[in-house]
Amino acid sequence: MTDNLLGLLVVIPLATAVASVALIRHRIPQRVLGLVSFGSMLVLALGWLSEIRDGDVLVSQMGGWPAPYGITLVFDSLSGLLLCAGLVVALGCYVHSFSMLDPVTERRYFHPLIQLLIVGVNQCFLTGDLFNLFVGFEIMLMASYGLLVIGGSRRQLGQAYKYLILNLIASTVFVVCAGLVYGMFGTLNLADLARIVDARVASGEGLPPGFVGVSVLLLFVFGAKGAFFPLWFWLPDTYHTCPVPVAALFSGLLTKVGVYAVARTFPLIFAVGEARDVVTPLLLVSAAVTMLLGVLGAVSQNNVRRILAVHVISQVGYMVFGLALMTTAGLAGALYYMVQHMVVKSSLFLCCGVMERHAGSDDLDRLGGLLKRDRFLGVAFFVAAMSLVGLPPLSGFFGKLVLVREGWADHWWLSVVALLTGLLTLVSMLKIWTKGFWLPPAEQAPPAPGRDGDTGSGDLRGAYAGIGFLVVVAVLIGLAAEPIYEIAFHAGEQLTDPSAYIRAVDPHGLIAAGGATGGGG
Amino acid sequence: MRIDSLILRTAVRLVLPLTLLFAIYAALKGHNGPGGGFIAGLITAVGLCTYRMAFGQRAFFRLLPTHPRWLVFAGLSVAVGVAVVPLLLGEPLLRSGSITLHLGGEGLHLVSAMAFDLGVLLVVVGVAIGMITRLGEELDP
Repeated sequence: MTDNLLGLLVVIPLATAVASVALIRHRIPQRVLGLVSFGSMLVLALGWLSEIRDGDVLVSQMGGWPAPYGITLVFDSLSGLLLCAGLVVALGCYVHSFSMLDPVTERRYFHPLIQLLIVGVNQCFLTGDLFNLFVGFEIMLMASYGLLVIGGSRRQLGQAYKYLILNLIASTVFVVCAGLVYGMFGTLNLADLARIVDARVASGEGLPPGFVGVSVLLLFVFGAKGAFFPLWFWLPDTYHTCPVPVAALFSGLLTKVGVYAVARTFPLIFAVGEARDVVTPLLLVSAAVTMLLGVLGAVSQNNVRRILAVHVISQVGYMVFGLALMTTAGLAGALYYMVQHMVVKSSLFLCCGVMERHAGSDDLDRLGGLLKRDRFLGVAFFVAAMSLVGLPPLSGFFGKLVLVREGWADHWWLSVVALLTGLLTLVSMLKIWTKGFWLPPAEQAPPAPGRDGDTGSGDLRGAYAGIGFLVVVAVLIGLAAEPIYEIAFHAGEQLTDPSAYIRAVDPHGLIAAGGATGGGG
Repeated sequence: MRIDSLILRTAVRLVLPLTLLFAIYAALKGHNGPGGGFIAGLITAVGLCTYRMAFGQRAFFRLLPTHPRWLVFAGLSVAVGVAVVPLLLGEPLLRSGSITLHLGGEGLHLVSAMAFDLGVLLVVVGVAIGMITRLGEELDP
């Protein structure tokens, strides 16, 4: 089905960013504009999600150019679920930032940058074209560089530099890969590529030489963005130095876009035929090591923000686990896991921000007794932490259940690793809970200096609103696991059998007629 | 980084109008051939930067109508505006509309994509000049 309004998901944040630049000296109008932008996008995305819950695919061809020639925006089950989750996270973090950012930081283009980040993220999720995926990545990264150095302390700049270099390398490789793919197949439209690759494997013609190499290179690119083992080293330090709402937003969105890119392109194109035999073992091993090392790293830290940041890596491992299985249920499990993880992880980071505000530090040796001081924060943190661990009525349980069960038949060892990781997650979360909330405050340590760019007003209403919103959504995701899983299973089916996706992108059969020879090159 | 040279100043006085003219040519030609708003913006920015090199920062800002930031703002507004109009008419984003004016001869073919290109041009000029003046401020305040 065609729905030309899909473009609004890119235009609304872009227009808001432009308007925010004009209002750069006025805080309140910028905030109102931002809220209107996030709110309207969320309403639109939820509306479309309910429209496609039976497995439909919404499509819009930019400029009216038909599929393999123009740029296609696709809103299917996979992108729809992630878009909604991403916008929920963005809204929560945005509201939280009202009481967490100091006015100077806020005036340094915080509002335009956060809108531009969403432009990039939405474009990544929506696009049906490999080169535009790259463009979306770049827009997102540009904005994230800006947000990382907002506040501009020396430490922040040092960490941002590391992040910048790694992403520059990954982006360069991405463009090279896009060029190679174009040379092999004469197209970059994902639906077109899926059809050509499938036809070539089916007819026994085989894939062009170098295809496996390109697959592995792309896995490197997306792995670096998604923080898979062994490319995760940039992550903990980056999230440690920037303002809390920004760290929360990054933990919810950035790595997930990398995982999304794997989910979108690999089952369709780059893990077909002989490439699958190379990519699958890589993903399986990477999943196991990412899960286990990530959680061990988290347990060993003694600092709330670092525990949470390193823990993001371990959670990415679960998603890679689901992707590596490449079955309908495995992909559905990975998608559900991503959705719940985005919301839960961001809410934990936001809780961490308030903890830092109360205690002046996020060092576990200096925290303590927060449960008595701030009951709301304690409850919110506990609910979110238990969701992350996967206690039954909460969302994490349903994510792990499907993954572990699906993996049990063929890769039982991976399921065992996943369960062990869940146990260690409990240990790491209990560490924060006991030392931060449960035990009495530690000996009066000298108050640590406030974190860079984080010394806003003492008014915490915005912070509580953001945390409350995300925690409530996290609980709802657990309670509404069945309808969400229905959509996730549609996504899994669309990825394992792309014919519905191809038909939606190209209703007139132009792809089949024009590219039957598959380019050549 | 002003270079004090009579030859340069005289040359720039001659070259700048030609550069701007060539930029307009490149922008218009871009609809059906190599060229377009991006490259026209770069050509404009190069012309303006040589002017800055010859006459210095202050004379340069007298030439420029406004702060580079507002050029970027204006360019983005135009581009987004042109992109959104088709949505209101039920067409996909960025859909280009065209009219042909009959003024005798072959007629003048006007497309809305030209306005989009103008937006791109303004953004490129604004970004390039903004970056170069910012870097130049450290050399000669």
